[in-house]
Amino acid sequence: MGLKTKITLSEPELVHAIQKKDKSGAEALYDMYSSSLYGVIFRIVQHEEIAEDLLQDTFIRIWNSFSSYDASKGRLFTWMVNVARNIAIDKTRSKEFRNSSKTEDIENNVLTLDKKVNSEINPEIIGLKDLIEKLKPEHKIILDLVYFEGFTHVEVAEKLEIPLGTVKTRLRNAIITLRKVFN
Amino acid sequence: MKDLKTYLESGILEQYVFGDLSNEEKLDVENNALQYPEVRKELEEIENALMSYARSNAIEPSEKVKTNFLNSINTIDQVNNSPSINTGGASLRNLQFYKYAFAASLSLLFLSGILLIDLNNKLNESYVQLAVLQSDNQKFSNQVNYKENELRDTKNALQFYKNPAAYKLVTLKGSAKAPEASLLVALNENKEEVMIDLSSLNMPSNDQEHQYQLWAMVDGKPVDLGVFDAKDDSTGMKRMKFIKDAQAFAVTLEPKGGSLNPTMDKMMAIGNI
Repeated sequence: MGLKTKITLSEPELVHAIQKKDKSGAEALYDMYSSSLYGVIFRIVQHEEIAEDLLQDTFIRIWNSFSSYDASKGRLFTWMVNVARNIAIDKTRSKEFRNSSKTEDIENNVLTLDKKVNSEINPEIIGLKDLIEKLKPEHKIILDLVYFEGFTHVEVAEKLEIPLGTVKTRLRNAIITLRKVFN
Repeated sequence: MKDLKTYLESGILEQYVFGDLSNEEKLDVENNALQYPEVRKELEEIENALMSYARSNAIEPSEKVKTNFLNSINTIDQVNNSPSINTGGASLRNLQFYKYAFAASLSLLFLSGILLIDLNNKLNESYVQLAVLQSDNQKFSNQVNYKENELRDTKNALQFYKNPAAYKLVTLKGSAKAPEASLLVALNENKEEVMIDLSSLNMPSNDQEHQYQLWAMVDGKPVDLGVFDAKDDSTGMKRMKFIKDAQAFAVTLEPKGGSLNPTMDKMMAIGNI
């Protein structure tokens, strides 16, 4: 990786290229977002092969139903991450998936995942990892449940046995921390 | 809006970005975003922060996903429209592949050209050899024909010498025109044979346009018995046509192939039986 030239376009250019069904648009779309979306999908299904299949499905769905994306209502990535998350969650709810994957220990999964993320050579991440540590654990767990695993606020409140208002506040504070770090 | 700050801090915008709102609530947020730049800005910042968070948790999938994705969608290849975009790895690899393929094709073409020229040369050589062989073959077959003729003449002579008593020998003597000429004719009435002894022939060699013709005189009329050539090295007995009750033989020089009637002033030799 890194040796290969990846295509990068500005968001309006990319949207335009996808609308034209331009092949380079498809490549740019994949190059720019595949690893981010794969990170989300993998967290949800916890299985490399299944996650890659779902990533492929996600991009095909994004490509084929691109007309339903409205640029005036938000950023492209926000829309795509919702598509990816819905596809991944649908999979985890399928009978076939629940039969095949034994209920694994969540802590173990987080460990393997952290290891996997760290092993990637991604210059954008270097240094940021420390800043992520600034997220308080009680904020991070809510953020991850909602953003990466598609829990609704209500579901988080039930799972963690805390009031809905607390979920909202912590989530907001988590995002404020991220904004300080990234923006 | 009564209190924009409270709205911004309510957490509903985060829920909007997480896709965790009912359609009604969603429309409400979208309307507010159109109406209030602050709302729009807040939404953008939430989106950017989450996108960065997702990027910091990114995992590289294997290459085959990209290939499969690109192979399973319909795209339009707009190479000429956007040259800056088309420096992608795939098109570079394709270009590289076509370069090598082109070079390989050229080499193959060159090689086949050389082989073709070489083959053509060999084919021409074979044609020449074939022509030589055919001409040799013709030569041999001519020789065989010649030898067969010789053998036939020799057999005839042998027959004559084996049984000379059965033959009546007639010696033709030169006419006034060719006093030196002479020829021995053997006649076998029982076997109905007339042969001339070429070794006894004493006549000038005929040219290409003429041949000697043997005649039999039957009741005063000449009857054709065939033509023959006179050469220095002629040997053996040559069988001629037979006629009954011949009283005399005569030889004339006639145009090649013989004449219907003898040319009397070319009478070479004559002899009574």
